[in-house]
Amino acid sequence: MPAFLITNNWYDFRDLGNLSGKLLDLLDDALPFGVVYVIAALLGFVASFVIFVLPSQLFVGVYGERKLIGRIQSRYGPNRVGPFGLLQPIADAIKLMQKEALTPTSADRALMYLAPIVFVAPCVLLFAVIPFGPNMVFADIPVAIVYFLAVSSIPVLTTFMAGWSHNNKYSLFGAMRVVAMTISYELPLVLGMLGVVLFTATLGLQSTVLWQKEMDIWLVFLQPLAFAIFFLGASAELNRTPTDIAEAESEIVAGYLTEYSGMKWGLFYGMDIGYAIAAAAFGVTVFLGGWTFFGLEKWVPPWLIFIGKTYLFYFLFIWTRGTLPRLRIDQLMTFAWKFMLPIALLNLVIVATERMFWVEEKADDSIVYAFALINIIAAAAAIYGWSRALGYRPENTPQKARLVSEAGGFVPVDAHGEGSK
Amino acid sequence: MSGIIKSEPFTLNIGPQHPSTHGVFRIKVKVDGERIVDAEMVMGYLHRAMEKLAEERTYTQNIPFTDRTDYLASMSNNLGYVLAVEKLAGIGVPDRGNAIRVIMAELQRIASHCMAVGAFTNDTGAWQTPVMWCFRERERVLDLFEMTSGARLTCNYMRIGGVAFDLPREFEPATRKLLADLPGFIDEIEGLLVGNEIFLARTRGVGMLSAETATNFSLSGPMLRGSGIAWDIRKADPYCGYEKYDFQIPIGYQGDAFDRFIVRLEEMRQSVKIVQQALDALPGGPHSTHVPLALRPPAGEAYARVEGPRGELGYYVVSDEGPSPYRFHIRPPSFINLSALKEMTVGGTVADAIVVLGSIDIVVGEIDR
Amino acid sequence: MDGFGVTFAFWVLTGVTLVAALGVLLSRNLLHAVLFLILTFVGMAGYFVLLSADFLGMAQVLIYVGAIAVLVLFAVLLTPRAGRDNGETRMFLPALLLCGTLLAVILFVITDTNWAVSEEPATVSAAGLGEALLSRWVLPFELASVLLTVALVGSIMLVRSREEEAEDPR
Repeated sequence: MPAFLITNNWYDFRDLGNLSGKLLDLLDDALPFGVVYVIAALLGFVASFVIFVLPSQLFVGVYGERKLIGRIQSRYGPNRVGPFGLLQPIADAIKLMQKEALTPTSADRALMYLAPIVFVAPCVLLFAVIPFGPNMVFADIPVAIVYFLAVSSIPVLTTFMAGWSHNNKYSLFGAMRVVAMTISYELPLVLGMLGVVLFTATLGLQSTVLWQKEMDIWLVFLQPLAFAIFFLGASAELNRTPTDIAEAESEIVAGYLTEYSGMKWGLFYGMDIGYAIAAAAFGVTVFLGGWTFFGLEKWVPPWLIFIGKTYLFYFLFIWTRGTLPRLRIDQLMTFAWKFMLPIALLNLVIVATERMFWVEEKADDSIVYAFALINIIAAAAAIYGWSRALGYRPENTPQKARLVSEAGGFVPVDAHGEGSK
Repeated sequence: MSGIIKSEPFTLNIGPQHPSTHGVFRIKVKVDGERIVDAEMVMGYLHRAMEKLAEERTYTQNIPFTDRTDYLASMSNNLGYVLAVEKLAGIGVPDRGNAIRVIMAELQRIASHCMAVGAFTNDTGAWQTPVMWCFRERERVLDLFEMTSGARLTCNYMRIGGVAFDLPREFEPATRKLLADLPGFIDEIEGLLVGNEIFLARTRGVGMLSAETATNFSLSGPMLRGSGIAWDIRKADPYCGYEKYDFQIPIGYQGDAFDRFIVRLEEMRQSVKIVQQALDALPGGPHSTHVPLALRPPAGEAYARVEGPRGELGYYVVSDEGPSPYRFHIRPPSFINLSALKEMTVGGTVADAIVVLGSIDIVVGEIDR
Repeated sequence: MDGFGVTFAFWVLTGVTLVAALGVLLSRNLLHAVLFLILTFVGMAGYFVLLSADFLGMAQVLIYVGAIAVLVLFAVLLTPRAGRDNGETRMFLPALLLCGTLLAVILFVITDTNWAVSEEPATVSAAGLGEALLSRWVLPFELASVLLTVALVGSIMLVRSREEEAEDPR
């Protein structure tokens, strides 16, 4: 750990990892062998999940999202329960617990009960590798990025279990869509992350943050394409709005959640938010410098910076949810395979070339700024050029209806010469 | 999807209880994967036998029924019915009455199109934001209705021979303020959606309806105009003095869901223009002629049609000189527009079917009556 | 690496993996069998982690659980309803024979191998793995990728029938 930053004294509140480390040391002396390992795991769970994730789910995920979307839709949002409606999520949870959990007669009971439970576990696991501060990471494993991608692919199976078990056609539609979409989006997502990994030459999350700190540049500038791919892929896998086809409300009622009620539904709903927060935390860590903020982390507790960034990232999800319509499944597939995959491959080639140049020429580290400039220009050019190549012609889209003054028959498009197809 | 992989189509019930059927309406679709191979409409869940009930009530008592067919456009429905009865009984309407009727019908068109545009974008998956924005403006129109008729949704405002009440004093300034704000709002919605790539991807080329098919199904309203046919009853067969107002007919390009959407937006602009002109030239005088309460029109039949928000809204009334109509029939534009649903959905995906249904802009109260 | 925790984890993983594997065999419901198979994959990943092969473990989860299992589920979805019962089939005897042979071969290899215990802790880092794959084992690696490409092309050719080329159904 860089010495200038954080002291290892337990009272240094800028890094709560010291405090918990001290606590565990004391416990290790007092308790019989091995017990402290169990306590450490519990402590990590409590620290990351109970203290951070659960309140975030309730007050950012439920309350904040409802409030913000309310404002986007020019209404107030929750404002009845508690001050400013802050207790609304708790009221929601109480309501959900009181509700009857229905099970259809023809459902596969075992799977239907198992699915919400299995859905929760990976979400807890995801936060184990997220670095909240220099010492505040529960398991700083060297392959954290792969770990994150791997664990985050498990909930897809759960949604499939959920969709299949009801014996409901809408649920089955949802399950099919989830499965099809995951296959498509996992690939560009991993390829995009590969670009990042090539640059930083590490698979660890803490080391990725430190790399960005050392280079004094965030990876979002170095890897704009990878960031875009990550954001789109993550929102696809999280079923957030432009791509929420798995539970598309207006089409297939609620997709794989159609037959769930009460707290079984509540677990899915809450953990969806949990995954979104995990994705936001991951995106912040990899692309937005994690707990660093160009030196500010020396004075402000890094975990505050990190949480603030995570919430800002989560705001992006809320924003897209409030403003964008939903794509159709075949359009999503086309987008993944024809647009994102080639772009991700191109990104990989660019990064590999740059990395090779950097290593072979033994260039100075400040060359990353040049790379950032090149990559931003390349990203814009690639996105624009490739979409033009795929037939994207915004100028051919009619903006307004044609106007005629007299009633009559059919008016061919060419007669007016405007907005020709 | 064919080839050596055998897939077997399965039947999916969209409705009667479904978030996007705009009421209790059911489509039985046969899907092969996500692609629709067959669609069958099942309706009648909201049938209230209005046309039969109307034969037992006097002519004036039937006006509230017309509120409840197309409950999103009660003014237009009132208007169609009273026009038919006036034609049957040969009753004239004072100029002021006609002007008020035009104002109300056009405001109703704006309110109804707000709802149509909002619900349609909801069907494309825009999570309620446009629909809330549209509701915001629609509320202001409904406020005006409440001011004049006392009711927001089922106004029951038109009477045989005129309208029920004269305009209140505060109506004109409130309307002028609304008219000043509306173009900005329409531009806002247009900016939000017409330039949105996802919205374009979802609506362009979806639910294509050629001009020929549209006429063969005898469609009307924005459905017909979206297919590029310049047809508007207000121009072709003017009533209530529509020939005095300067407005244009918006038409689409290729007859897809997007064209219907932009046609509706443009119609709102034209309606604003018409209300403006009608307010500027609002004549004085009585708002209604005196009509006996127990009206007994001479034996005969009459059909009157108006350009409702959803299309040609026709009322057919037969009299046998009794106090109530011998036969009462409605030509509901939603019902006839809906008949082309199968043509538009087969071959598309389930998601497309929802968008198509939204673009038809049905009101189930009118379909089932 | 020797300690109570590792031993405990080993036996838990073994229990889970074996029960899941038995579940694959005994489950009458095809979907349940697939889900048990996924649990087996997770157990295998646990073994890799236990052997300090973190990257392999994660890759196991990412590829087998995240991708291959999803593909298997897709295959189950596409199976007609009649085929979802995991009942007796004509393939029972050949499958039994094949599995028996496979088991015999694996047991033979296990007993025949010289399991020398190395003293220094073996760490398989991602970098080391990449180095090995692209230098020493580059030929098998490339061969595997060629094999996968052939399989891909083959499956596309199987699905694409001659009539379909003539007239596109869409």
